[in-house]
Amino acid sequence: MTQTTIRCLILACGNTLRGDDGVGPWLAEWAEEKYRGDPTVRVISRQQWTPDLAEDIAGAESVLFIDCSIESAPGYVSLISIEPSVQTQGLATHHQGAPELLALARDLYDSLPVKTALLSIGAGSTELGEQFSEPVLDAIPHACGLLESTIFEWTR
Amino acid sequence: MTQTITIDPVTRLEGHGKITIQLDSQGQVEDAHFHVTQVRGFERFSQGRPYYEMPSLMARICGICPVSHLIASAKACEAIMSVRIPHTAAQLRRMLNLAQMVQSHALSFFYLASPDLLLGMESDPVARNIFGVVAAKPQLGRAGIALRRFGQHIIELLGKKRIHPGWVVPGGVTEPLEPAKRDEILAMIPEAYANIGLALAAYKQIADSFKPEIEVFANFPSNYLSLINEDESIEFTDGALRLIGPQGGVIEDGINAARYTEVIGEAVENYSFTKFAYYKPLGYPSGSYRVGPLARLNIVESMGTPLADQELVQFKQLAKGPVESSFHYHHARLIEVLHGIEKIEQILTDPLILDKHVRAIAGVNRLEGAGQAEAPRGTLNHHYKVDENGLITWANLVIATGQNNNAMNKGVLQAAKEYVNDGKFTPGALNRLEAVIRTFDPCLSCSTHAFGQMPLVLTLLSPDGEIVDQVIR
Repeated sequence: MTQTTIRCLILACGNTLRGDDGVGPWLAEWAEEKYRGDPTVRVISRQQWTPDLAEDIAGAESVLFIDCSIESAPGYVSLISIEPSVQTQGLATHHQGAPELLALARDLYDSLPVKTALLSIGAGSTELGEQFSEPVLDAIPHACGLLESTIFEWTR
Repeated sequence: MTQTITIDPVTRLEGHGKITIQLDSQGQVEDAHFHVTQVRGFERFSQGRPYYEMPSLMARICGICPVSHLIASAKACEAIMSVRIPHTAAQLRRMLNLAQMVQSHALSFFYLASPDLLLGMESDPVARNIFGVVAAKPQLGRAGIALRRFGQHIIELLGKKRIHPGWVVPGGVTEPLEPAKRDEILAMIPEAYANIGLALAAYKQIADSFKPEIEVFANFPSNYLSLINEDESIEFTDGALRLIGPQGGVIEDGINAARYTEVIGEAVENYSFTKFAYYKPLGYPSGSYRVGPLARLNIVESMGTPLADQELVQFKQLAKGPVESSFHYHHARLIEVLHGIEKIEQILTDPLILDKHVRAIAGVNRLEGAGQAEAPRGTLNHHYKVDENGLITWANLVIATGQNNNAMNKGVLQAAKEYVNDGKFTPGALNRLEAVIRTFDPCLSCSTHAFGQMPLVLTLLSPDGEIVDQVIR
């Protein structure tokens, strides 16, 4: 059995029941549809990022992490490169951040994707509910465009 | 002047708890309590919902062991429907529950406990985490992650979701197993065997170096409760409950879900939102008992699978009667993982495993029903009452962590008496108090029926109730 090389892994995080926290899974669903016919692009959406994802990361040529940000202004879309690092403060069992997952992939599997970035969307509200706030709704087209152009650049 | 020490929050637990230690006027430990500080309310807000929604509602109690809640809940609903589910559905549920047990035990052992076990109770707290384990023992780190993936992937293959799968329903399961999925699971088995073999060997190498902890980590006689099969082998999904006493003698056998409330009571203490389960004929607290891996292995005569049976023989040599120290929960957990892998392999070779008849259909035929199952942490009982339209009018859930509550409190007191002296404790002592709780792998979210972050607080109180010291993490 031959395995398809994953040129890009899209790794989203968020809770669809907590307002804007669901924007990561929403973008993952959009990407799933967009790249349905392309076996080299893999999408994984989770409520939390856990250590077992390190193996998936280690096996991919590039990884685009997607998450909402409670530190950015509501609706602010950013794309920043990510480096492996271990944040000891607040290290949790159930959830790791993108830098920690990259560090795990490196330390456990001796492998790191060539390109890695975090696409984040500033959250307006993470209260209980399945609706996005206005700023996040307005930001979604821009986020989709940035996701698409990043994947295009990484996989061409 | 007496003093109190508080550890809040206790870390590397499934949930949010607090430890309070009361000192006497000489600064020696007088009493200790493990507090569960969350309230959830599933029993209340499920009232008015149709019974057939209960499994998927109840699964939301926990993100680690939703499958056990699904199964106990579905069985309670089947009692209301008065149906017996098809053989294949029972086998598929059994496999799902075992897969969950494997992933949950892997989480408990490798992510939560192994930093203490592999790096040392007094190692640098900054590195005492899964990253420290990976740096020190990368092969073991990979094995732990792979075992967790093994269990989670089976859950995803069967239930379509790794967390809160909806495949288990009242009457059975929604879809039969596809041959391709069976073959995919079978293909993962050899690697799983290799990984648990590695973990068991590593644990046995280091266990002897923890003799002081084994002595005082909830090491006392108690009763034990778990499901067991008629052939005396371990069971997680069906069978009936057996309660044994401190010397291993059977106190009561064949306790099915319908009889659960006759024999199991729940006491309330003013320092915790979690109830304290006990065996009614012995009263509270004499009727308190332990559940989970240690209890299960103390109760059964056989694991029902060859490799785990060999390990059980070694485990039972740890003591003449029941193995008492809760430190040995870790060992028991690894043996159960081995059993889980073997049993999943056995189930997949059942000639009827691909059978299409996987669901019994019926409506409300009784106004009350109860169901039980073994969660990774111990026995679960779901008990519901419905009206003529099948709407829930009352629900009670007896959860594993509540059943271990008394033992956890006694264990914290026992360890505090060993490690807290003159009103002070070192960081290593602090970690050991937390590690006592970790041996039980309590799920505080389940037990309180929690929301948000779930980390523990340790408080040191003077005799007059003043806070002398407090650690919040």
